[in-house]
Amino acid sequence: MKLSGEALRARLEQELGAESVEFRPLFLEAYAVDGKSPGLLCLPAGPEEVASVLRLCAENQASVIPWGGGTSMSLGNIPRAAGVVVGLEKLAQLIEHDDANLTATAQAGMQVAAFQELLGQRRQFFPVDPPLAQLATLGGIVAANVNGPRRMQYGGVRDLTIGMKVALATGEQIKSGGKVVKNVAGYDLCKLFVGSLGTLGIITEVTLRMAPLPDSAASVVAAGPLDRCARFVEQLSDGPLLPAAVTILSAGGNAQTPAVATWVEGFEEAVARQLRDLAALADEAGLASEALRQEPHRRLWEEVEDFGANGEGVLFRIAVPIGAMGEILATIDRWSGEAATPARYVAHAGTGTVWLLAGNDPSSLGWFPRLIALAQGHKGHVVVAAAPPELKAGIDVWGPAPASLGLMREIKRRFDPQEILNPGRFLGGL
Amino acid sequence: MSRDDLINQLRAIVGEKYLLLEKEDVIVYEQDGSILQAMPEIVVLPGNAGEVAEVVKAAKRAGAPIVPRGSGTGLAGGAVPAEGGIVLSLARLNRILEIDLKNRLAVVEPGVINLDVSKAIAQDGFFYAPDPSSQAACSIGGNVANNSGGPHTLAYGVTTNHVLGVEVVLDDGRVVWLGGRVADSPGYDLCGVFVGSEGTMGIVTKAAVRLMRTRESVRTLLAVFDRTEAATKTVVDVTAAGIIPAALEMMDRLTISAVAQAVPGVYPRDAEAVLLVEVEGLTETTERAIRLVQTICERSGAREVRIAANQAERQLLWKGRKEAFGAMGLLAPNYYVQDGVVPRSRLPEIMKQVAEIGERYRLRIANVFHAGDGNLHPNILFDMRAPGELDRVIEAGAAILKACVDAGGSITGEHGIGLEKKAYIGLLFNEYDLEAMARVRRVFDPEGRFNPAKLFPTPVSCGEVRRQPQTIPAGLWI
Repeated sequence: MKLSGEALRARLEQELGAESVEFRPLFLEAYAVDGKSPGLLCLPAGPEEVASVLRLCAENQASVIPWGGGTSMSLGNIPRAAGVVVGLEKLAQLIEHDDANLTATAQAGMQVAAFQELLGQRRQFFPVDPPLAQLATLGGIVAANVNGPRRMQYGGVRDLTIGMKVALATGEQIKSGGKVVKNVAGYDLCKLFVGSLGTLGIITEVTLRMAPLPDSAASVVAAGPLDRCARFVEQLSDGPLLPAAVTILSAGGNAQTPAVATWVEGFEEAVARQLRDLAALADEAGLASEALRQEPHRRLWEEVEDFGANGEGVLFRIAVPIGAMGEILATIDRWSGEAATPARYVAHAGTGTVWLLAGNDPSSLGWFPRLIALAQGHKGHVVVAAAPPELKAGIDVWGPAPASLGLMREIKRRFDPQEILNPGRFLGGL
Repeated sequence: MSRDDLINQLRAIVGEKYLLLEKEDVIVYEQDGSILQAMPEIVVLPGNAGEVAEVVKAAKRAGAPIVPRGSGTGLAGGAVPAEGGIVLSLARLNRILEIDLKNRLAVVEPGVINLDVSKAIAQDGFFYAPDPSSQAACSIGGNVANNSGGPHTLAYGVTTNHVLGVEVVLDDGRVVWLGGRVADSPGYDLCGVFVGSEGTMGIVTKAAVRLMRTRESVRTLLAVFDRTEAATKTVVDVTAAGIIPAALEMMDRLTISAVAQAVPGVYPRDAEAVLLVEVEGLTETTERAIRLVQTICERSGAREVRIAANQAERQLLWKGRKEAFGAMGLLAPNYYVQDGVVPRSRLPEIMKQVAEIGERYRLRIANVFHAGDGNLHPNILFDMRAPGELDRVIEAGAAILKACVDAGGSITGEHGIGLEKKAYIGLLFNEYDLEAMARVRRVFDPEGRFNPAKLFPTPVSCGEVRRQPQTIPAGLWI
């Protein structure tokens, strides 16, 4: 029999302890998703408790919103219901840093910055640069498939996640993958959970690939008109250099012109050579260039990583083939010039991801259909990655559904038959 | 539907020429690169995706299993028709449909040979990174099904890291794309789940794969050791020094002795172990990295370290490695290759255990493997004609896999579960883990007709599966 809200709270308190279940509205406002405050916040202390919460919620058809650092909560459609937020903050332990094997296993609620600090003690790091790394959690960036500028060199979250443990909506705890980098035993269910936005289960633990900390790192910023920036990127990509990140930054803010930021790292002699070659490439393309090291280098990329992450507008994520980047950005610049408030972007030229930030007003939604048509012309796609709830109402932020939606629906049905997990937030209302 | 009706329908779809029924025709399809065999009933070779879809529909109407097959180089029995039904060969879907260098991708049909992709773009300075050792023979469709690896996946990743999207025929004959031509397609990453599903979810009819730019510098080094442990420790130390080689391969004494016969003069006959290390990248990077590797090898007690001075020397060093599999035939009439994985820091102890297992089962084991990512390939040598020997071989193989799992590893790094290892998957996954996989299977293949009796620990198959060694095709190496 389904319990009342009151009775469910009592059961959860019994299971987790009263101090781990919050019900006072004042405290719950901070956990609102798209303006919907949850009825309860649960803070399970371990994977067993996560599974127990899910089991109880499933039995009582209470909707569940998994919550890591809360940095990707604007992603997704407005949830149909926000019953119980399950916060992962107590699952924050590093389980093992196996530095000899360049892997590490940690609980899902561990914050990325804290994780990096521990890895750094043994001269390694996790090569994903998410926005708001102080807050973002490992489970959160895996579930939301959050990537950063250096994906070009190191691969994305889907490539770096080699194992995980998940509590399913049906209460079972499963594992997928393992601790070794090469492993083809069974289906690769890690791929299913990466980017599934908590709609199939709650990730409780992840095993990730690490990289050695580079000896040296630096950037070149080459500024000038967009067509020259695009030519620079094309020349760079046709040549032998192996940058960690290549990002085109739009004009706007303090920048009078667009610019290309290129991040190089590795042995000092390789960094020095790339800085020289990049300066020469910039000259050829007619761009003014400047090399950055140390603090200016670090600050530049922190800004790039955090672009659009503070909820200051409508944020679009556009994915296009890398060769189409110049053309796409030129079109965006033209539209932006015609708009009341110009949009700004950072465009990762090595991976084909553009983050476009438009103003916080209804007219910004006008970008969406045009961007969809533009991206689809190159077989790409667009997602509204963040927007105020009043603008999200009535659209599917994931864009047009793919032909495989039927299969996805069926996956959802089998993993979460009662649709308790993040109901409605995923594509096609899943 | 009767068997005759099914055959008539298949004939109408693919034509008389591409429907094989007679024993002398289908016998070629009874085996892959493993030692497992089952005689197929029906083999069809459709010529395009439309025909594949029609074959799948006909099979559904008849309730017949479908076993997709690429080049048949798999090493786990994945293409062996254990439950009968239709063997569906993708060999005729062998066109490279599109090469888009600007966007760093190619769209290919599943029957395209892996190496042919790299060959088609080499003159433009590009390559397709996953290089399974059978790359001159194996197909892209087979690579997708098995999530194949290879020596150079240490730095560049395995097949799943290089497939952007696949067009697949589903169990009802519908054709859909999973993933696409760019990263992060909205929705669940069905392409990622499909890659490595060993033909149990559907049939690939196109794949969009990433292409990479050839690095400006490649440096290759051979290190010769008098002690196995010194070699395995070197592998650990190289990574600890922050160097990620493009490839890091190891061969033991028994393998070296075989290679020394097949390709004289490359590796010293009396060495206990050799390491082949390759670094790729910018000239400045490879120069420093190869010197560092050299220093580490010498510090660990390598008696000789040779850095290839030019392309010819480099190819010679690799020739020994590439001939290793074929050279096994010089050591024994038959051999059985295993595919366990351990965290690379556990290499020293696992190599000792492999040797102990060999002694315990009175079998010689020759090791040639991808040491850099801890992916073992112990070749258990035997003679099929000796009564009871094959049983000991299978038991020794199982003991090695168990030891790998106990060391925190896996039972397969790149060959797949197939028929061969489904009894061992329980060493890694419990019933809940497997049930989660089965849920996905049922989404794609509700009737369980795509490559039945593979991957999952099902009861003994009803078809007759035999264990027989076959002659390894020339040029195949692991």
